[in-house]
Amino acid sequence: MLKRLSNAALAACFVLPSMAVASDLDGLTPQQLLPLAQKEGSVTVFSLSSRIAKIEKAFEEAYPGIDLIGLDMSSTKQIARVEAEQQAGVHAVDVLYIADTPVVFTKLLEGKRIVNYVPPRVANELEDRYKGPLLTQRLSTKVLMYNEKAFPDGSPVTNLWQLTQPEWQGRVLMVDPSQRGELLDLLTEIALHPDEMAAAYKAHFGKDIEVEGELQGAGEQYIKDLFANDLILVPNSDVLNKSVGDVNAKNPPVGFGTYSDRRDNEKEGWALQIANNVEPANGILFPAVLTVADKAPHPAAARLLIDFMFGDDTPSGGAGFEPFNVPGDYATRKTIAHHPDSVKLGDLKAWTIDPAKTAAARGRIADLIITLQ
Amino acid sequence: MIFLSISAPSGSRLLRSGFLLPAILVAIVAILVVAPLLRILFTTLTPEGIAAWKAVLVSPLSTNLWWRPLLNTMILGFSVASGCLLIGGFLAWLVVLTDVPGRRFLGLMASLPYMIPSFAAALAWGTLFRNSRLGGSAGFFETSGLAIPDWLAWGLIPTAIVLIAHYYSLAYTIIAAALSSVGADLVEAGQMAGAKRPRIFFGIILPVVTPALIAAASLTFAGAVANFAAPALLGLPVRMQTLSTRLFGMIETGQNERGFVLALLLIAVSALFLWLSDRIVSGRKAFITVTGKGGRTKRFPLGAWRWPLFAVAVVIGLLTTVLPVLVLAASSLAPQSGALFSNWTLHFWIGEGGGEMAQGQAGIFRNPVLIDAIWNTIRLGLVVAFTTMLLGLALAYTIVQRRGSLLATVLSQLAFLPLLVPSIAFAAAYIALFGAPIGPLPSLYGTFALLVIAASAHNLPFAVQSGRSVLGQISADIEESARLTGAGLIRRLFAIIFPLVIRGLFAGAILVFVKMVRDLSLVVLLFTATSPVLSMVAYRYAAEGFMQFANAITLVILVVCLAASFVAHSLQNRVQKWKAQ
Repeated sequence: MLKRLSNAALAACFVLPSMAVASDLDGLTPQQLLPLAQKEGSVTVFSLSSRIAKIEKAFEEAYPGIDLIGLDMSSTKQIARVEAEQQAGVHAVDVLYIADTPVVFTKLLEGKRIVNYVPPRVANELEDRYKGPLLTQRLSTKVLMYNEKAFPDGSPVTNLWQLTQPEWQGRVLMVDPSQRGELLDLLTEIALHPDEMAAAYKAHFGKDIEVEGELQGAGEQYIKDLFANDLILVPNSDVLNKSVGDVNAKNPPVGFGTYSDRRDNEKEGWALQIANNVEPANGILFPAVLTVADKAPHPAAARLLIDFMFGDDTPSGGAGFEPFNVPGDYATRKTIAHHPDSVKLGDLKAWTIDPAKTAAARGRIADLIITLQ
Repeated sequence: MIFLSISAPSGSRLLRSGFLLPAILVAIVAILVVAPLLRILFTTLTPEGIAAWKAVLVSPLSTNLWWRPLLNTMILGFSVASGCLLIGGFLAWLVVLTDVPGRRFLGLMASLPYMIPSFAAALAWGTLFRNSRLGGSAGFFETSGLAIPDWLAWGLIPTAIVLIAHYYSLAYTIIAAALSSVGADLVEAGQMAGAKRPRIFFGIILPVVTPALIAAASLTFAGAVANFAAPALLGLPVRMQTLSTRLFGMIETGQNERGFVLALLLIAVSALFLWLSDRIVSGRKAFITVTGKGGRTKRFPLGAWRWPLFAVAVVIGLLTTVLPVLVLAASSLAPQSGALFSNWTLHFWIGEGGGEMAQGQAGIFRNPVLIDAIWNTIRLGLVVAFTTMLLGLALAYTIVQRRGSLLATVLSQLAFLPLLVPSIAFAAAYIALFGAPIGPLPSLYGTFALLVIAASAHNLPFAVQSGRSVLGQISADIEESARLTGAGLIRRLFAIIFPLVIRGLFAGAILVFVKMVRDLSLVVLLFTATSPVLSMVAYRYAAEGFMQFANAITLVILVVCLAASFVAHSLQNRVQKWKAQ
């Protein structure tokens, strides 16, 4: 017992000063972080992408003496694990590489289970909205996709409201938004733009929209109309891509999918293409964020890793970013060039979600969807 | 009793008084099952939790959030349980009690489907029955010009069929274990008394295996209501939600409280049904069949029916075993997931990396972590199967010994519940409960022990149910005589009970092993080592969109499970020497 106490006291002696130091660490350059990180010896990261294995190799080559332990698990599991661990007083993970930002925002950031850290080296190369409340490393998409082989003249859809008409009845696919956060975020974003949805309605139908009593705004009306037009829900994006993209399909449906899945077109026999020219928007851009866990056991190494994962100054981002540099996903760091084959970020007609706003509005939309099923 | 306690050394007096074991078990079950459940319950008693209860039960949402999914779930649960009993029971009878040809082969086929993940059966269904509702390429029947209506392609009916095809082997495993303990003497006694075959079947065999039937029904029911893959793949396109898809969705979209409320309600409803079935069993007389002597099994001659029934069994096996395995194998060989039967390549198994294929990734057998992962998986599966069976046997023993008592009812109810708790909630509760040091006990966070404890608790139902169904048949006479000669509990367990019930035990152990080897949620939340288990490797590939690799790993998992069941089978034959033919 005595030994435990003295151990605890000893641990406190180390932990307390390092906590005081942690906030100072935020201002250090990678060169200054390195010796501290090497003293810590390792860094543990939960990653939404298994490509963390490639980062592990590159990071350990760049910074010898720091062992990167990467565990890949979905955002939901990361959140569950961090919550449970911290409730038990366990602080074992340093860095979270995670999406599902509205949930991260309410469950982890507001609960002070994570802290935001912006590497000073790249701070000037990021727009402010990517620096807080959570540091965004890259943006992924949930946008309207169509089959470019079946529709060689371009997207058959140019206005979201078309999808509520008989022509598209039972021919719009979406991964069930009550099963997957990103799709719920997409519908929430539509609901958060009532004026633009109303304007698009007028442009398409030539008259003002009438919103039903219990609904708020044109966005919610759109969601209701979309479901009423036999929107088909599927369990995962694999099923969706196969259905929308099949090169042999005669009259394929369209669907809200992931732009970067287009890179598998050749491998899978798909003809997926983004419908970019859509009023008022074709979907959403949503962030993948890098964040430090509260009381991270290796605070300096954690910061060094986050810095590393923003890549070097080359257009490809170098070894620290390259694994994530796929066409259809977008780096937030301005120096990293986007893939030449994909629509430029500035030209993409998608709304970028704001985790805080989405978090606030999401519950209502989740309820709305349940009543529509 | 007095005589015994005088002659016994004082240390084992407590044991013999029959009080200590139940007390220990109650404590263990309280810690392993009740504590995490209570923790989940408490998270639903916060203000958000109360709001979730209201939203689920009394709000405009409750129809779609609770009542309709509940109805779908119950229809699925009951139809799957009855379908599994019919098919599993039929096959068990055929293999164990008749002279059907190729019994070993049939037995093997019947035990396989549970080792194949249910999504494979769902995929196989899609390969055959998919219609044009989703667009994309149609299934086999539509391409051959046969229109498939929506009700046959999507929704409750295909989901139920696929789940029966998956879970009947669970029923088979348990019923076959119980049937094999129906001694020849019983049947022969019936025959000598002039009973006709149906009379023997309904008068002797059926009553004797009723506990096994109830056990099989409970487990297949729980499996069906908790299954996610099949209702998601086949139900969502027609907006059919079950409680499991609702539950998954709630947790996945960050509405944990609602998810937990649904889980608790599901547990309550299932517990009610289990309690009813328990009443049915304990209401009737216990049949004691394993008497220690007539261990032989009597086989009925099938006569002219030998080959037709063999054919029926083979067809069932082909449809539920061979077809899903074929689809899995094909999808690990086909470069395009849309065209399963063309351009096959072994690249995903043994290909060298660096080329055009699969973004330069090498085949799974060139993945350096694979061998590590296989060993980790086997080790985890074995350890968990062992601890679970040990605990399960002790629980089943107590439940059977005290049949009808309050203690037995409570224990059997509690031991059944973990199967219905979503793994992610179970694992999170375990981290929160045991991550911090409790008194003098150190924190279990990140230890292999925590994973084993959580997994044992989570898989307890398999062990308890399969243990019960066999233990219930053991005659108290044998134990009584052993007790009179002064054998202690431990001695009795190992010298008498263990050999007699080994088949049932191994049946349960295999089920636990298979479940553990495939389970991802529990492992990924509790595992901290960097060398992963197979299910994590498969997830890694699938997450990157390489279903071929993931399916190849699934086949490796299948082989591991098969090997384990072979080992168990030969072990049990060795222990039950008197059964040697």
